[in-house]
Amino acid sequence: MKSVVTTVVTAADAAGRFPTQNDLEAVQGNIQRAAARLEAAEKLAAGLDAVTKEAGDACFNKYPYLKQPGEAGENQTKVDKCYRDLGHYLRLINYCLIVGGTGPLDEWGIAGAREVYRTLGLPTGPYVEALTYTRDRACAPRDMSPQALNESKS
Amino acid sequence: QAVSADSSGSFIGGAQLNDLKAFIAAGNKRLDAVNAVTANASCVVSDSVAGICCENTGLTAPNGGVYANRKMAACLRGAEIIMRYVSYALLAGDASVLQDRCLNGLRETYAALGVPSGSASRAVAIMKASACAHITNTNNTTGEKRKMPVTDGDCNALSAEAASYFDMVISAIS
Repeated sequence: MKSVVTTVVTAADAAGRFPTQNDLEAVQGNIQRAAARLEAAEKLAAGLDAVTKEAGDACFNKYPYLKQPGEAGENQTKVDKCYRDLGHYLRLINYCLIVGGTGPLDEWGIAGAREVYRTLGLPTGPYVEALTYTRDRACAPRDMSPQALNESKS
Repeated sequence: QAVSADSSGSFIGGAQLNDLKAFIAAGNKRLDAVNAVTANASCVVSDSVAGICCENTGLTAPNGGVYANRKMAACLRGAEIIMRYVSYALLAGDASVLQDRCLNGLRETYAALGVPSGSASRAVAIMKASACAHITNTNNTTGEKRKMPVTDGDCNALSAEAASYFDMVISAIS
């Protein structure tokens, strides 16, 4: 699981050395950024249902063709699964903010996603729209502090 | 923690975050603890191996566990490797790196090579005592030894955490 600590420990282990000053400084950086990341994670966890709903609405508004027969949102079950997917991604983003690295998204969200979406006929445009909307919708300091916003946007 | 939340499909917020916030708040202490251990690593390691040899002189006799320079060097290297993985675990605040990359299969390896596990455990116990003394800066039992200049504070939790990693090694090999 990729994070600041696992990255420095893996590098040190590969070279067979004890943690050095540089390694400790890297972890120090992790500590300094933690407050902003954890704030963003906390806000996201608290406002999850509203954020998921808005993101899903945004993608069906932009791509209404999805609800036509034969498309990815042709019935309510499939539409529900779209919202569920967005909830999954937001949950993984929450984990990434906690961990301070992209490990959770890489391993549980991104790896294999292209193949799955291609096979199941899910266009990637709507996912991009949903997440772009969520990114641009967030606003500091109304939703969270500016630094926390930077962390969640990245 | 993310792994345990994922298995239940839940977000991480509120109560679970408090543990992490405590981890972050004690972060500088943790860095000092790792520094205290790594800065004295060669001393801790050589002292532990010398300790088991003094306590059990059979080890250095012909056919003993560390007889001949080759075996002594291998023993010192083994102790240093254990020390290194404990320092990783202490830096990460999690034992998985120690378990996965060091302890997994160690008992079987020692059994196959004929490494006396009782003596190995005793060496780890000595490393534990001395590493914990360095972390809490109380390594002055026989007069003032190496002291680290640090801000005063309570590092007993970190010392106990380090001790638990050494105990993990002992239970894995004995």
